[in-house]
Amino acid sequence: MTVFKDAEALYDILGGFFSDRVRWTDEAHLIHQVGGPITFIFERPAAQICWVPEAASAEPEEPSSERAPFRLVLGAAGPTPLLTFRQDGDTAHRFWLGLLDLQQALARQQVRAQGPLSRAMKLLPHLDAIYPLYPEYLTSRGHGDLLPPAAGLRR
Amino acid sequence: MRGRARPAGRGERGRQNQGGGVALSTQTIQAVVIADYDQTPQVEWVELQDPGPGDVRVRIHAAGICHSDWHAVTGTLPLPMPMVLGHEASGTVTDVGPLVERVRVGDRVVVTWVPACGHCFWCLNGAPELCETANRGAVSGTGADGRTPLRWRGQPLHRFSWSGTLATAAVVPESGVVRIGPDMPWREAALLGCAVQTGVGAAFGAPIVPGDTVAVLGLGGVGLNVVQGARMVGAARIIAVDPVAWKRELARELGATDTVDASVDVLTALLDLTDGRGVDVAFEAVGQVPLMALAFNAVRRGGTAVMVGVPMPNAELSLNAFAFPSQEKTLTGSWLGGSHPARDIPRLEALWRSGQLRLAPLTTHTYALHEVPEALQDLLSGRVARPVVVFPDAEAPATRARTHDPAQAEEE
Repeated sequence: MTVFKDAEALYDILGGFFSDRVRWTDEAHLIHQVGGPITFIFERPAAQICWVPEAASAEPEEPSSERAPFRLVLGAAGPTPLLTFRQDGDTAHRFWLGLLDLQQALARQQVRAQGPLSRAMKLLPHLDAIYPLYPEYLTSRGHGDLLPPAAGLRR
Repeated sequence: MRGRARPAGRGERGRQNQGGGVALSTQTIQAVVIADYDQTPQVEWVELQDPGPGDVRVRIHAAGICHSDWHAVTGTLPLPMPMVLGHEASGTVTDVGPLVERVRVGDRVVVTWVPACGHCFWCLNGAPELCETANRGAVSGTGADGRTPLRWRGQPLHRFSWSGTLATAAVVPESGVVRIGPDMPWREAALLGCAVQTGVGAAFGAPIVPGDTVAVLGLGGVGLNVVQGARMVGAARIIAVDPVAWKRELARELGATDTVDASVDVLTALLDLTDGRGVDVAFEAVGQVPLMALAFNAVRRGGTAVMVGVPMPNAELSLNAFAFPSQEKTLTGSWLGGSHPARDIPRLEALWRSGQLRLAPLTTHTYALHEVPEALQDLLSGRVARPVVVFPDAEAPATRARTHDPAQAEEE
């Protein structure tokens, strides 16, 4: 059984996490270093979420708490992405739980990336601050059942 | 489908001029013929020429049916039509042509489908399964001389990879038959012609060391024999993957230690079973491109993926290129299990006799020649792993004396 039973569930849970948590972190402002939209294309269920950077702040090192550095476009109507990550819903879930080794996942084609991957790699070290937010978010939304047993954790 | 009426006025033998001015004797036999792609195979009366130099005629007692036969029917394996299907069998040598040295009339033999020439580059370099002459004949549906010993409705009739064993008899090169002992049942011996050589041979040729973890994707006649081969070379864990539950159970019976339902996320399942590391060696035994990629993706760093299944000739495979150098993964192929039939079929027979190679569980579904279309449908639907056509006289005394599984006999 897949983590997200359909696209609506994925938009609600993963989209909600991006919208309500990720966008408001300090690390979110690093999207300006990428330099363009990032699209996540999902399989099983088929869905798509695009992170569209808002106009860069003059002082990105001092993020505003009133304005998120990127907005979300759910579905296929987003702008042309600079970077695309294609994966299935379960793999995305594991990634945001911090359980996926991206290098391994790319080598195993669990994640397929298109675009200047080096720019995305700049963000990777900063994701360690974001991973803990996902289980917290799932629990707060009453989705604690989606958390894996601790013994099964691996990257 | 039933056999067509025997042609009126035609005897068991006739004489026919084959164009070169040489009159050759022929025998009228029954064979499963496909007239053209996507046509239903039909049992037809066809003419089979007497064996020429280096050829032998074999009366077929049992013949296996392979997915490749179906691919020939659909044209996904584009071979010349019309054609007699079948490329693995067992039978008795009834005639030998001039220059035949290794077999005699009355010998019990296995018919296999890569009759190596013995003197081309590949034969001389230890890879007779890649024999240039054999490959040319397989593609053309004829012999090395461009001719076929079969005629139907006055026209040349091609044969599947030198053999055309879904027939009451076949004329094949001497190097396409290997003698077997008097106690080997026909139906079990037939599988040595393709499925067992291909599956067991692939495992024997892979870099499996005792204690390894192996995954086998696809549990048809070939995949189940990969499982057996992996067991025999000492794999500690053999993970058998297939969507069909009874095939997974059969794989366990043949040596698999774990099974995975192919309808789940197989890659994640294989990683979970190996602490995220991946398997040491993975085999793809179906010929589907996504499964080929899966096999490669499922192996550990430094591991090997072996492609055994046969995809369409124009299929292309996309993989992560970085994984080759950065993870030292190896992607390789195996054709007929890298087998040298004259050397390896006796070895396989010895393994069967010792109980290490089990064939009886693979021959539980038998059919008459006219039931080949039904057998093909059963193969496609997953109802049977390896259909075997058994001919009326196949249950000869030697067979009746030992129709059981040696491994089971020991347990009893």
